[in-house]
Amino acid sequence: MLAVLEHDQVLTMTASAAASGIRPGMRRGGVLALAPQASLCERDLAREQGARDDIALTLLQYTPEVAHAEEDSLLLDISASLSAFGGRLALCRRIRESIQALGFTPHVSMAPTAQGAWLLARHRRHAPGLARQRRSLRLASMQRRLDALPFMILPAARPYQEWLAGIGCQTLADLRKLPRAGLQRRSDKYILETLDRAYGTAPEMFEWVQAPQTFCAWLELPDRIEHAEAVLFAARRLILQMVGWLVAQQLAVSRFLLSLEHERGRQAIAPTPLEISLAEPAWHEEHLLRLLKERLGRLQLDAPVIALRLQASQVAAMLPPTASLFPEPGGAPGAYARLLELLSARLGSENVLKPAALADHRPEIANAWQAATDNSRQRPQEETLRQIQPQRPFWLLQQPLALTWRNNRPFYGSPLSLLSGPERIECGWWDGAATVRDYFVAEGEDAACYWIYRERDDDDFRWFLHGLFA
Amino acid sequence: MPMPASAPSSISAAAQSVVATLPHALWRADQMGSYQGVVTASGYPALDRELPNGGWPHSALIELLLQQAGSGEIRLLQPALARIARQRRIVLLQPPHLPQIGAWNASGLASEQLLWIKAARSADALWSAEQVLRNGSCGALLLWQSHIRGEALRRLHLAAQAGDTMLWVLRPLSAAHESSPSPLRLTLRPARGGVEIQLLKRKGPQHEHAFYLPLSAVIPETEPAAAAPLTPSTPLTTSTARNHGSLDRHTPAAAGAGNIAPALV
Repeated sequence: MLAVLEHDQVLTMTASAAASGIRPGMRRGGVLALAPQASLCERDLAREQGARDDIALTLLQYTPEVAHAEEDSLLLDISASLSAFGGRLALCRRIRESIQALGFTPHVSMAPTAQGAWLLARHRRHAPGLARQRRSLRLASMQRRLDALPFMILPAARPYQEWLAGIGCQTLADLRKLPRAGLQRRSDKYILETLDRAYGTAPEMFEWVQAPQTFCAWLELPDRIEHAEAVLFAARRLILQMVGWLVAQQLAVSRFLLSLEHERGRQAIAPTPLEISLAEPAWHEEHLLRLLKERLGRLQLDAPVIALRLQASQVAAMLPPTASLFPEPGGAPGAYARLLELLSARLGSENVLKPAALADHRPEIANAWQAATDNSRQRPQEETLRQIQPQRPFWLLQQPLALTWRNNRPFYGSPLSLLSGPERIECGWWDGAATVRDYFVAEGEDAACYWIYRERDDDDFRWFLHGLFA
Repeated sequence: MPMPASAPSSISAAAQSVVATLPHALWRADQMGSYQGVVTASGYPALDRELPNGGWPHSALIELLLQQAGSGEIRLLQPALARIARQRRIVLLQPPHLPQIGAWNASGLASEQLLWIKAARSADALWSAEQVLRNGSCGALLLWQSHIRGEALRRLHLAAQAGDTMLWVLRPLSAAHESSPSPLRLTLRPARGGVEIQLLKRKGPQHEHAFYLPLSAVIPETEPAAAAPLTPSTPLTTSTARNHGSLDRHTPAAAGAGNIAPALV
């Protein structure tokens, strides 16, 4: 239950507060008498402006032409975006979802003129029962709808409300029937200008929102958050803003930093940084969110979080989609990089590996793997790899397994008979891991093939299992 | 249920016409089924004859039940994997041992197409498998899991159906008694010079007996680069096994193979 005060008078309130009898215009004392548990807060114009800026930044992903308008509204020119986002209904739905994800409730309407759309949206706000008739595609139908609206929703007409009502004006149509010269003389020019713009008889001018050159957004959380996963919900708002900014600037992010700010006080704790690097620059909301989710899932928080800051630290130009006509069998070119990032984010990059074979005779050293997202080490020359192609089993044991010796045969489950060998590997004396081994291919009684070796140490032989032929 | 061919009935005539229009939607239990989807030939004609549509199906969960790791499973899949690796990547998810790069290279699989994913927990492995299948940028996924629940298998099967990635799940032989949504289940047991395959489940008539499939020899008879991959051979040819650079001829072992060979071979 919450009410917002301005100059000690209630400006607006939540639905539950309205249900308990709080009305706009009440004083602080009256509110507390009706609902002692209601929390009151002062209107903060700076934060309102901040919220409008955040929404404008988010909506830049749908069209580059976003303008602020009076009474907490935003105007979007979507005439060039309709086919890109799958039609007007789909676009309206996406815009509404984006704003709701930021934590606000929009009233969306659509009309051939910006002022007309503004009036339709305002009327919807004043009369929430009229769910229909918010979208007009043709000028004629929009004018019909505007005609029926009360003139009160026109901000310029409000000072003259009483005498306009006194001469029988009810709707915008009535207002337009009045003689223009007389109306202008008795009021001011803004009424006629607004009406002309709304009905499409005068041109409209806008000052479009310019996206900032760099992106850094800050969000104060409504409560202290102690679990890293819960941060994701709030971080989504910041990600949405960043996506809007990226699309507006035609950029893709390759590294971004989410700082989790902790409570300031006697023991000030530095913000926990969460830096996410992408192998392939991306600007897709769902991919960035999934990466963030997996990283947050592995994060342990030392102290509760009170605010978040998101910063795009490295950006690159957005690449156009592929120009080939037929889809490639491996999917989109960036799909594999995205998969690697996602897997590395959850499992850790040391668990997602690609081959990085070394030119060495010792199998455990030659069989080197490196993180798949790590592109630093150069692959050895193809020549080297081709030359090291002796008989090798598909599986190599992590640790060689010591074999017992029965009846003059190595024994692993059953007596092993040697099929081929020995392949002698004697090297490593230079780096301390000296290896003196004779490798054999052996076969058990169940016909499974093993790769075993005999370690020569003076006169003593020890047998080990080192691989399995699959 | 097989319908007697001699029964003259109007229903059967109607059914025949329906069957003719829907060749993929209906199969009789005594005939080999056919998929709507694509298959990749296994590279072994004897095995292809036993598989519906003549190959490993794409977009389906294929179960291989192994007696133990190293029963010839990679050599069985090697021709199919080699074909996939020419264009797309192969993911090894939670393999039982370290995959050896040299062996993959030697068997004609470009090792740079391999991706090895280690997962600490079974839930992580299943999640990774689902991500790989949903992503669709990899050509094949090999998943090793010893314990896997029916729901998880069904989920994997659904994820596999949504994409084009081939999915093999390798499980222990003990899982043969559990029910599974997989349309193709095979058990593998090692056999001399090959593998013994039993088809537990397929879209086709029941397969009663295990059959022997000769695989490429563990020990190539000639130079490894020139080894024909499909020739069944008896691997007991120690004298002819000349591995490239494998034997240091100048310094024989202290107790060379000759000394103990009679007892061993």
